[in-house]
Amino acid sequence: MSCLLVSGGSLHPVVQITGNFQAETPLSARAREALGDALDQGWSDPSKLSHFSAKARILKESAIAAMAEILELRPDEINILGEPGLGHYYSIMGLLRPGQQFLYSRVDRKEVIAIARSHRHTLELQVAPSGLIDFQALDRYSQGHGVLALQAANGETGVVQDLNTAIARAGNLQIALDFSSAGTRIPLPSKWDCAFFDARAWQGPAGVGILAISESSEWVNPLPHIGKTRTPQSASLPLTIAAAVALEEWKEEERTESMALRQRTQELRSHITSRIDNCEVAGSLENSLPHISSFSFLYVEGEELLRRLELQGFAVDSGSACTAEDLQPSHVLAAMGVLTHGNIRITLHRGVTPAQVRVLAEAIETAVADLRAK
Amino acid sequence: MKELDCLGMCCPRPIIALGKEMPRINAGESIRLLSDDPATEIDLRAWARMSGNYIVVTGINEFLVTKSKMD
Repeated sequence: MSCLLVSGGSLHPVVQITGNFQAETPLSARAREALGDALDQGWSDPSKLSHFSAKARILKESAIAAMAEILELRPDEINILGEPGLGHYYSIMGLLRPGQQFLYSRVDRKEVIAIARSHRHTLELQVAPSGLIDFQALDRYSQGHGVLALQAANGETGVVQDLNTAIARAGNLQIALDFSSAGTRIPLPSKWDCAFFDARAWQGPAGVGILAISESSEWVNPLPHIGKTRTPQSASLPLTIAAAVALEEWKEEERTESMALRQRTQELRSHITSRIDNCEVAGSLENSLPHISSFSFLYVEGEELLRRLELQGFAVDSGSACTAEDLQPSHVLAAMGVLTHGNIRITLHRGVTPAQVRVLAEAIETAVADLRAK
Repeated sequence: MKELDCLGMCCPRPIIALGKEMPRINAGESIRLLSDDPATEIDLRAWARMSGNYIVVTGINEFLVTKSKMD
């Protein structure tokens, strides 16, 4: 892939890099083509009466219908958000009433933890070293009224939660599901009130969130609004269409790709843990998404490791404090009790080859050895 | 008892400094580690689990690290 640099008002590919193992990934050719077409045809406001608007409305409805079918939702349950970062707020605060209990876990996303800090009655569920949430405490609250925020899979470690067990214990609690990392890799459970998806989970574009609101839920728009609008109608239609095309493409290949990615991740984890001592992997692959790994190396600075890999052309993420804006270590690793320094997060994307994984693993091995020898 | 003053150091430098000091003490001996980095306590616990040594939080930004066995 290539990096882009703004120059003279245009974008030019300027740097060739070896591989992208960050969470984000470029759009596929098919989704990019759909985006370009949608910019030509879907520029008008779908809510107006003109010919162009009618065209845009048809495109929007088609995109939502296509996503609904794959996500196993009804089209009228789907709401597109142009700011996915607000998805957790809409989902949880649309269900939660003042005085009710809000239950969440220590490995939830920061947006969810921020909501908990602004609410009076909260319970933080504890997390085992495996990354699995301890749902025992739910038994005490299952007869009361409140909301349980439930993460299907963690975006840092890939650890998958046992949704059915949690929901069975949740009793009367309303369920706000976070599928922003899991995407379509985990089926929706039988009972839920809201479910939030991010198109990046299926390699769609950034800037498209999908908030599903169950027909039976008591959700109400938590922001000031006029009329029956559930969410702002300001999401980009071209991006929504690109997200739908990316989802269709993803679904066509998901089964075979997931198997291949799990195998590649197994190879990566085996190589690193067998050749590098004092290394921790957060969560077991048997209980994780197939493409995410989080490694921590004792006596290594995460930032230096990141820079060393970057120099060799590998883009990866890190949860170490030295790489964070607020200099705080990853709250997910801290909750699991995993070493937080010397951390790198690796996401394997569709089509990655065994050779590419081996080259990356060898680069990590060399970089860790060099940094420890300094 | 040996003291390792890592106040003002960012993580993982306190743990790296500790790792360099540990071979210099005997089994059963301790190091008093001072560190105010927010990640130190989390990482010290992980370090103790991985290395088989013991740690006790003895005060604000103060830890007692005891070596369990010879290297």
